[in-house]
Amino acid sequence: MSLSYFIRRCGYIVFTLLVVSLLVFGITQLLPGNAAVMLLGENATPEALAAVSSRLGLDQPAWLQYWHWLSGVLAGDFGTSLRTGLPVGPMIFGALGRSLLLAAAALLLMLAVAVPLGVVAALKRGRLADLLVSLVSYVGVSVPEFVTATIVLILLADPALRLFPASGYVPLGEDFWAGLHHLVLPVLTISVILVAHVSRMVRSEMVDVLHSDYVRAARLKGLRRRTVLIRHALRNALLPTITVVALDVGYLLGGIIVVEEIFAFPGIGRQLIVAIQARDLPAIQAGALVMAATYGLANFAADIAYAWLDKRIQYD
Amino acid sequence: MPLPAQPPALQVSGYGLDYETPSGRFAALRDIDLSIARSEVLGLVGESGSGKTSLAFAILRDLGANARETGGSIRLAGEELTAKSTRELEAIRGRRIAMVFQDPGTSLNPTLPLGEQLAEVLRRHQGLSRRQAWREAEAALARVALKTPAEMMRRYPHEVSGGEKQRVAIATAFACQPDCILFDEPTTALDIITARQILELFERLQEETGVASLYISHDLALVSRIADRVAVIHRGRIVEEEPAAQVFSAPREDYTRQLIASVPRPDRRLVAPAPAAAAPLLEVEALTVRYGRDRLLDRLRGRASRQVEGNRAISLAVRPGEIFGIVGESGSGKSTLARALAGLNPFEGSFSFEGRRFARPAELDRAYRRAVQIVFQHPDSSLNPRQQIREILARPLRLYDAPGAASLAERVEALLAEVQLPADFARKYPHQLSGGEKQRVAIARAFASRPQLVICDEITSALDVSIQAQIVQLLLSLRERFGTTYLFITHDLNLIRQIAHRIAVMYRGDLVELVEVEALAAAGPRHAYTRALLEAVPTPVG
Repeated sequence: MSLSYFIRRCGYIVFTLLVVSLLVFGITQLLPGNAAVMLLGENATPEALAAVSSRLGLDQPAWLQYWHWLSGVLAGDFGTSLRTGLPVGPMIFGALGRSLLLAAAALLLMLAVAVPLGVVAALKRGRLADLLVSLVSYVGVSVPEFVTATIVLILLADPALRLFPASGYVPLGEDFWAGLHHLVLPVLTISVILVAHVSRMVRSEMVDVLHSDYVRAARLKGLRRRTVLIRHALRNALLPTITVVALDVGYLLGGIIVVEEIFAFPGIGRQLIVAIQARDLPAIQAGALVMAATYGLANFAADIAYAWLDKRIQYD
Repeated sequence: MPLPAQPPALQVSGYGLDYETPSGRFAALRDIDLSIARSEVLGLVGESGSGKTSLAFAILRDLGANARETGGSIRLAGEELTAKSTRELEAIRGRRIAMVFQDPGTSLNPTLPLGEQLAEVLRRHQGLSRRQAWREAEAALARVALKTPAEMMRRYPHEVSGGEKQRVAIATAFACQPDCILFDEPTTALDIITARQILELFERLQEETGVASLYISHDLALVSRIADRVAVIHRGRIVEEEPAAQVFSAPREDYTRQLIASVPRPDRRLVAPAPAAAAPLLEVEALTVRYGRDRLLDRLRGRASRQVEGNRAISLAVRPGEIFGIVGESGSGKSTLARALAGLNPFEGSFSFEGRRFARPAELDRAYRRAVQIVFQHPDSSLNPRQQIREILARPLRLYDAPGAASLAERVEALLAEVQLPADFARKYPHQLSGGEKQRVAIARAFASRPQLVICDEITSALDVSIQAQIVQLLLSLRERFGTTYLFITHDLNLIRQIAHRIAVMYRGDLVELVEVEALAAAGPRHAYTRALLEAVPTPVG
């Protein structure tokens, strides 16, 4: 991987974010009613509306408003929440941090479960273990997360058993064990679909790689079974999986909105729902932009990781 | 008391193998008996599906889940392998018996450096430390005559040539000085000259180490050159085993005789001398083909274009009724030329056909395309898998409005008869046909428009020699009947010397020599590259 490839990819992502910012801004412009109406209510006088509009800059042409908003965002200023009157930036990034914690825990759990499942299924292809993994995967992929969440709640959050709390969030820094406890159910729910998805991918890649000449050659060199499996087969089977995991980050961001709502987890998804319900335009814009950026960066990271791991790919 | 005789390095006796398939049991190997002494090379020759590769994997005890052994024994230096556990086999493989695969492009792990893949065998079997193994591996690479072993150790497979990869694979097989090495067509995936060098390396190492070798190949001529004895395998049975020198001169079995008759021999010409020189049918003038995009970004930055020249100013003339051969290694530009003449590649320069001059692909009109047809190397990709043969053949018939009042179905049937296929093939799909039959369909499609010139682009390269011989016979009989001119592209120098009137030799995009075959036989080549090519090709012994 060359430096120029890296720089070009950086260029792409900047461009993507710009387009996203335009879309986000454009869509909020199209929403019925403007911020002044939302602030003052339906019954405000035209004079009051005009005053507020000019204070918020809503009487300026759209491109100028976009420019002010974008230059603010670049300087780290996402505007002021119409709902709370506080700056949107810290609010969004606090929520993003909590969501990333949730997502990272879900990804880790997913990898820890999905990769071994996929490998076992590939090794026992066509036998009972493989069928079971396939069955679980199909169910996992096809059940929507609110159903999974409900099942998880019924099984693990029974108030009588007091296994795990059904909702809320405690910062890990404040009380580590309580924080971890609160993460368990949402993480479990999110992981189910990811595990189903990625284990299928690992299985099919692994089946291909196990039939390759180089794995046979490794076996015929007398290498131990474990060496053949891990060093020669799994290494190559995991490469395409990286791309799938990056795409799953997209799902993760969507799925997280539902899951955070169900478990009352104060992450970015919940933040966004609250903002939409309150028609808090600056918060909606910031939330959408941050989510799009996260998705873009995840794919960027996957591309870079892939290029670094697979030396065959020639980027000029 | 006499010492007990040393057991052979490898001995297989009474071995049999079945494969369990959805349509029942398939006998892959039957009553296999063979034995290789130390320092001996046994050549195993067979066509595809004969069971030769199955035998190699059976010896190495690496069989698929659907394999069922029907008995027999496999002994490595007297030790029975069939009763060994997986763990015991792991300790034997790579150390006492090793294998070299056909295609080093697929048998090396793409994500590990070459040195790692060699050193890991030494670490596993000789208990060397990481550093010792690395040093030892570097020495092993030097022994297979790689020029910069230290650098080669750190490279990845995609960063080196096919020949270099195969040298690494060979070094790996020899690394632990095994009793026996199985070579499964180790030169088939390589270019002629590279293949020759690998073969020389094999002969040198084999002599130096005295390893017992089983050399598997489809190429009888090659095997008869390098083996001490040659075993011919057909449908899972070894039908004949002879000292190498006698296979060609005194074969005993019918099958061996057929096989030998199919092997192309430059000294047995299959065509009459070319018709007297008339005005050329096709005249190519300074034809150049460039590949790769001329990227806008590069041009703006003032960078040189990244285009590659596939053909550089090729000029040649093909006479009517002639078989014009084009030979060269992969990447020499022979297929590029074929595709340009078929209108499939953009080109610079021009060519004339029957006096009409074409300077751009867009000028190639229907009359030209009717007169000039192409047959590709792989019928699997050139025949639409979702169409029945009759649809495949009806299309050119409709397009070119072949003469006659017969119905389309009758004309398809007639076309099939021309390529000696039964009429009921019309309702089959390509996947129901064998490789040779598919290529016959492709030939029929080309002949549907009654072309004057047919471009054959490596059309027999993917086929077994016996099928190749049949396809060549078919082409010659069609030529007899229709007076067709052929542009025959191949890398098989023995075959082309059998059937062509003149040969153009291509090297890295240039036409380096154009010779009359009769003159070549009498006076030899003039250009050094042509000489190198001819010297690299094994011709049958005797």
